[in-house]
Amino acid sequence: MAVSKTTLKTLFGVYGVIHRQTLLLPSTLRCSVILSSRSIYERDYRRPGQPPDTRWPWQKIQFDFSKGVEGIKKHIGLLKDEFVQRWTGPEGRPLIDHMLEQTRVQWEFRGPESLSQWVVSSDQEIGGRSEAYIKLGKNNTTCMLYGTLCSTPPRDGETRYSGYCTLRSKQPLASFDRKKYYDWSSFNTLHMRIRGDGRPWMVNMSAETFFSHQRDDIYSYFLYTRGGPYWQDVKIPFSKFFLSSRGRIQDDQHVLWLDKVKSIGFTLGDKADGPFQLEIDFIGLCSDLAHTEEFAYELYKRNPEV
Amino acid sequence: MNPYRRATLLCSVGLGTTLTFASSHWLLAWMGLEINTLAITPLMAQHHHPRAVEATTKYFLTQATAAAMILFASTTNAWMTGEWSINDLSNPIASTMFMAALALKIGLAPMHFWMPEVLQGLDLLTGLILSTWQKLAPLALIIQTAQTIDPLLLTLLGISSTLVGGWGGLNQTQLRKILAYSSIAHMGWMIIVIQYAPQLTLIALGTYIIMTSAAFLTLKMSLTTKISTLATTWSKSPILTSTTALVLLSLGGLPPLTGFMPKWLILQELTKQDLPIIATAMALTALISLYFYLRLLYAMTLTISPNMINSTTPWRTQTTQTSLPLALFTTAALGLLPMAPAILMLTT
Repeated sequence: MAVSKTTLKTLFGVYGVIHRQTLLLPSTLRCSVILSSRSIYERDYRRPGQPPDTRWPWQKIQFDFSKGVEGIKKHIGLLKDEFVQRWTGPEGRPLIDHMLEQTRVQWEFRGPESLSQWVVSSDQEIGGRSEAYIKLGKNNTTCMLYGTLCSTPPRDGETRYSGYCTLRSKQPLASFDRKKYYDWSSFNTLHMRIRGDGRPWMVNMSAETFFSHQRDDIYSYFLYTRGGPYWQDVKIPFSKFFLSSRGRIQDDQHVLWLDKVKSIGFTLGDKADGPFQLEIDFIGLCSDLAHTEEFAYELYKRNPEV
Repeated sequence: MNPYRRATLLCSVGLGTTLTFASSHWLLAWMGLEINTLAITPLMAQHHHPRAVEATTKYFLTQATAAAMILFASTTNAWMTGEWSINDLSNPIASTMFMAALALKIGLAPMHFWMPEVLQGLDLLTGLILSTWQKLAPLALIIQTAQTIDPLLLTLLGISSTLVGGWGGLNQTQLRKILAYSSIAHMGWMIIVIQYAPQLTLIALGTYIIMTSAAFLTLKMSLTTKISTLATTWSKSPILTSTTALVLLSLGGLPPLTGFMPKWLILQELTKQDLPIIATAMALTALISLYFYLRLLYAMTLTISPNMINSTTPWRTQTTQTSLPLALFTTAALGLLPMAPAILMLTT
């Protein structure tokens, strides 16, 4: 199959045809063909050690009529809500709410549908052996993230480090799967009520980005949990979040803009193998008027003019 | 930014606009527009924040597209008629293309979608330059060629801009986006009357620049970018709060403030031209814009938001920002209505 596709491409020599392999033709023809209409950042994730998925897009379609009808009903309903919400005020709430609110509970776990807004992931994606699960806690009032961390790297010849798990919120979607963002500009502090196991977690937030090379930009801060039976109220000002990209802290730091926040996540990667758990009661925002710091990290000029 | 670089860029921005003002050849006008765009790009991206760079990129792409369309329209006109002069735009395809390009340049609906996002990503001073100075050159070209452009197109652009500016600004809490939609609405008012009385467009432009400058400089002085922080400015500077309230009413077009002048004169002109329906539609769309100006006023002056401070704070250290431009623009934004006859005489 792959050979026949290669022959096809060689015959036509078409640029930008949908395919998954980069093809270098003989020097007589002098054309290198990058054969994918999607950028490399938008392709499906390829697990290291696995061969790339070379199916044509039409081979991946799973057509289901009833699902389609449900989808149309859902999206038309969302669209109608969007139109109706405008009569009430910004984001469907009256302006007086925007002016008066100083606290907001963004996520609280009060039923099974609250877990559908979250995605759990671990290094099993890259062939590791950590496990992570979420479930509702006692009386369906909390979210329990639990599992086992294992930092043995997978034996695929590519990966050198392993041992992480993460819980991340899904990006809110408007009608027809258009991306929506949270507007948290009225607040300056993240407030969570959690009960951990003494491990150091990281809180990650991602904001809306425009360029594809900012796709992995994440603003992070540490979350040290106490362990034990008592709940912990954690307040982290947004000015403390620092910028990292693909896990590497960036030199050119800037403050997180809160008017377009995409998602929040918790990551554990402390290289301590064994079981872990994190129980979350709620995640909220508050406006601490006494906290006037804009950004916690000073920027120094790397090449100052003397 | 290095002050020499900033001065060079600001001079280039001024040069681009002046070049367009002084040109009678399409190529020179296009060059002026391009110099304008290129010079303001580093000013917009100076903060290196991803949102600022995003705003700069979006602005550059839209303006470059518009400039390319202008060039295409002018070369089409030159090919069809043999004329490069700005006043000789006689080919209908070229004139329509030209109007679409300039509508994209100044953010007229339906080519307005870039405006709120771009303004949101910029700091207030750069946003002010974008909203005021960057409109001058394209409007100068529109005024020169308005007589050759399809009247229906101009009317549609005008009414849709005022409508979109009003509806779009209704559910915003970010002040820069509100001012962006305000800009779109004001551009609509300028375009609707350009084919009948270009001098009223100039008056509307002048008053819009004064009022928008007053608004932007106020926000810069009180360092606010959203409604919730705007609501706490009363304790920091009560006088500024009260004058800003009046500036907002002036933007809304209420007498006896300056903003009433262009709206009154434009409605009068539309009525004289036997266009009562258009005049009524424009007046009604102005009401929508007035609603969100009043909402800002309500948040700022008529209510007291949750605040740690229950009285004014006279002990606050003095700001290092210069207040003379704010004072001048605020005075002009509030008190120019009695000078309407003199201003009319100056522009005719």
